[in-house]
Amino acid sequence: MGKRNHIENSKGSIKVLQIIVITGFVIMLARIFHLQIIDYETYSPLSMQNSLRMEVVSPARGLIYDRNGVIIVENQPIYTITITPSRFNMEKLPLLSSLLQMDESIVENRIKETQQYSWYRASRLFTEVSIEVFSNIQENLWQLPGVGHLIESKRNYPTSVRASHANGYLREATREEYQLSDRIRLGEKIGRSGLEMIYEDYLSGETGTEYIRVNAYGQSLGPYDNGSLNVTPVKGADLITTLDVELQALAEELMENKRGGLVAIDPYTGGILSIVSAPQFDPTRLAGRMDQSYWQGLNSDPYTPLYNRSISSRQPPGSTFKPFMALAGLYLGIITPEWELYNPGYYQRGRRYNDLADPGNYNLHKSLEYSSNTYFFWLMDRIASRGLLNEWSKLIKDFGMGPLNNIDLPSERAGIIPDSTYMNSTFGENRWGIGDLMSLGIGQGMVSVSPLQMAVATASLANGGNRVQPHMVRAIREPDGEIQYTNPAINKIEWITPENLKVVTDGMKSAFLQGGSNYYGRIPDIEIAGKTGTAQNPHGEDHGWFIAFAPADDPQIAIAVLMENSGFGSVSATPIASLLIEHYLTGSINRPHIYDHVMNFRPQTEDEVGNEE
Amino acid sequence: MLQDKREFRWSVILIWIALFSFGLTAIYSATQGEVSQFLPAYILDNFYKQAVWIGISTMMLVAIQFIPPRTFQEGAYIFYLICIILMILTLFFGVEVSGSKSWLRIGPLNLQTGEITKIATILAAASYLTSRRDVTAENLKPALMTVLIFAIPIILLLLQNEAGVAIVYIGILPVVLFWSGLPYGISAFMVSPAVIGYFTVLDWKLGVIATIVMAIVIFLLQKRVWLTITSIAFGFLVIIGTEVALHQVLQPHQRARVESFANPTLDPLGAGWNVLQAKTAIGSGGLQGKGFMEGTQTQLRFLPEQWTDFIFCVVGEEFGFIGASILLILFALLFLLLLSMAATHKHPFAQIVIVSVTFLYFIHFLVNIGSATALFPIIGIPLPFISYGGSAFLTNTILLAICLNLDFNKRSLSIYR
Repeated sequence: MGKRNHIENSKGSIKVLQIIVITGFVIMLARIFHLQIIDYETYSPLSMQNSLRMEVVSPARGLIYDRNGVIIVENQPIYTITITPSRFNMEKLPLLSSLLQMDESIVENRIKETQQYSWYRASRLFTEVSIEVFSNIQENLWQLPGVGHLIESKRNYPTSVRASHANGYLREATREEYQLSDRIRLGEKIGRSGLEMIYEDYLSGETGTEYIRVNAYGQSLGPYDNGSLNVTPVKGADLITTLDVELQALAEELMENKRGGLVAIDPYTGGILSIVSAPQFDPTRLAGRMDQSYWQGLNSDPYTPLYNRSISSRQPPGSTFKPFMALAGLYLGIITPEWELYNPGYYQRGRRYNDLADPGNYNLHKSLEYSSNTYFFWLMDRIASRGLLNEWSKLIKDFGMGPLNNIDLPSERAGIIPDSTYMNSTFGENRWGIGDLMSLGIGQGMVSVSPLQMAVATASLANGGNRVQPHMVRAIREPDGEIQYTNPAINKIEWITPENLKVVTDGMKSAFLQGGSNYYGRIPDIEIAGKTGTAQNPHGEDHGWFIAFAPADDPQIAIAVLMENSGFGSVSATPIASLLIEHYLTGSINRPHIYDHVMNFRPQTEDEVGNEE
Repeated sequence: MLQDKREFRWSVILIWIALFSFGLTAIYSATQGEVSQFLPAYILDNFYKQAVWIGISTMMLVAIQFIPPRTFQEGAYIFYLICIILMILTLFFGVEVSGSKSWLRIGPLNLQTGEITKIATILAAASYLTSRRDVTAENLKPALMTVLIFAIPIILLLLQNEAGVAIVYIGILPVVLFWSGLPYGISAFMVSPAVIGYFTVLDWKLGVIATIVMAIVIFLLQKRVWLTITSIAFGFLVIIGTEVALHQVLQPHQRARVESFANPTLDPLGAGWNVLQAKTAIGSGGLQGKGFMEGTQTQLRFLPEQWTDFIFCVVGEEFGFIGASILLILFALLFLLLLSMAATHKHPFAQIVIVSVTFLYFIHFLVNIGSATALFPIIGIPLPFISYGGSAFLTNTILLAICLNLDFNKRSLSIYR
């Protein structure tokens, strides 16, 4: 083959060249066949993904209304910048930072954080940027591939009412929550306490999706296929609560700079009219872009503002327990309204139990009126010595004290109404005696309740002996306008008779007109049935209690107030309850000196508590 | 001009018209569709500029038919000399466009001198080889001279930073020499570095296999031990050279650019982006394509240079496998027609010119579509008659016109042999 004749050369060579050309053609044909026919299923979706962007459309979160239709919690638009780290070119960092009006290092750090969430999915880079920054970024999106924008919303509180513990707040879902739920998206805010948490599934609504045509720079070019694939978001359901905005606003004002819990309840329905735990926190500072230093401050505050005292605090009810003791004693047949006991100034049983009431003969009415301890020590002594402890415990629990009331708020805590099981587990089997039970009679010792429980119990005195289910939400209004009522149950407490109830109520009416209550609490033309109490506190100033319902003969409101480290209930708790009752029943406050007294009242501080120990 | 007009290769003209129509359609879609809003203004004119160039080229094609065929052979050296001077001038006075200095402004014309020099080089090499005895294994001097004729423009192109065009010259050279009698074995030896280099980029082990296979082929063709040994030695030099270049000389991003055709997912947003988008465009076209001006990859600006280097993606996406394979068939027909013209011609000058032109088109075809379909690393050269580009279209048309002229006048030319 070394030397080739020219003519044959042409013939041979042309074959070789033809083969080369045909081979090249066949390879290319095979290649496009492979790409377009065999791998079509691979590339077709790729090109779809390229040119289509699915955007999640957040639904408007449901609103929260008070009982009269006033909006307590609404939504306010906030502007968010998002980033898809994989598509973002770090060389654009200076441009992005200057548009955001932020330091490059801050932006860079935040981008790194988003990379840890997901490299390929859009994460929120900065939320709540100003509208100016937002529109600057929007105009420059074409030179910032991977950067996006969103209009979201944050919670806004249009009235002065914060009801921070009742409404709760939203926080970004954690990684775990995101992984457990197919509904929650990364970076999405979900209810973290209060109603926002309990009714999360109603409030959140259903997210929608929107398909948008985009070009290689990520610019959107309008809806895909005229939006035929889009799923419209469904707005969250609204909550219609039982709160009364005006009452709540006043309650929050009166509880400022105090510590304690307050629950006002509609005695016939169990609807919460007002619920305050002091100190409060400001939910506006947790809405939208969270104020981190504020949040850390809340968590390290020695007065624990995030703690909902109104449903979680557990304190001995003190003398506010006496009306319920009386009803139990009457039912058990140990006492009668007429029966009298001589009070020498103390009760003797193994040791002396002191009584601040004057010596003399006491019937039930007088015992309640002057809050005589002797009468109730005697009563508890009889209950204990006749082996009726468990029966007694059951009767008291019927009022809503002790076990959970299952209010529609998170972190409610049960109280303690001891029975033999409880005593055995605390002291050991049969290692306790009557002496350990005596103080229960006057609401001290192991018995402990929350303000909510006292409010529910007070409601049952007000409504003729019915156990109400305390609740925050009266109705849920679906986005289509359909209203579901919660209709909580009301149960008659069978063993309470109207006659017995009248004796106790009369005793409370008289008690209210005694001493401090009379001065701080009495409202002209409104009869109140109330009872003060003081929970002994070994760690500092006593906690003051007050329970009341009014008007005494036609109750509209039942209330329980607990004031921590504030001494006598009559001075600390009574005026607050009284002002709330006055405002609720008359629409205004006509006793400015009482209002001023409350506003200037300060509980013992933590330092003082510490010094006393 | 005594021949019957029916002997003119009208079929070639028909294919030429079909190809540039295809091209104009694709350029129109690539620049005038929805995508136009994302393109700079000067790109929007490309369609109209191309139409004007097609008009000019058509006139050239007709005019060339009236030139006596001998002129091409006789004037080849002078033309070659002029072109080389123009290229040198370009090097000093040229206009720089996106990193390469390949444009020379002559009056109102912007000329890509490297394109015109293709014509000159082919004619000069053909002219030279025609005047010599055949190349043989014993007499390689004409072969070396031919290499020199090619080497000058190649060096100038490399200096202009036009490596893509240089590759085309390098590709034609073995074909020209092979046609002129260079033994099969030595021809295979000339091609082997490209083959071995290609496989080495994929995987050095494949490079070794390619070296061994090529050595066996060369031995079977030539039965010369020294040639076989040299080919093995060369093969390993290529492998080592390629590996060193990839891992030591090139920066990681440059290396990624070379390797990304084989594995675009290594760096899907960097070097692999173009490869991935090009494959996606073609692949998502499916059998029937998305329709004229309906390609999302094309219209939403996912393709780079879609009016030139990536024009095949536009065809693939919008006209599907049917459209793309029609285009391939048109090219194959053109190549085979040209080769048959060469085969039936009796004059070696005409043969060498036609074969060179065929392979010039073929290499463009292979490299351009190979780049778009990720068979090869992305080498930016246009698809003949399809891609936007006036100088290239004119050059390719002139070359075609010369082939047609030589073919039409084959009887009058053959006397001179």
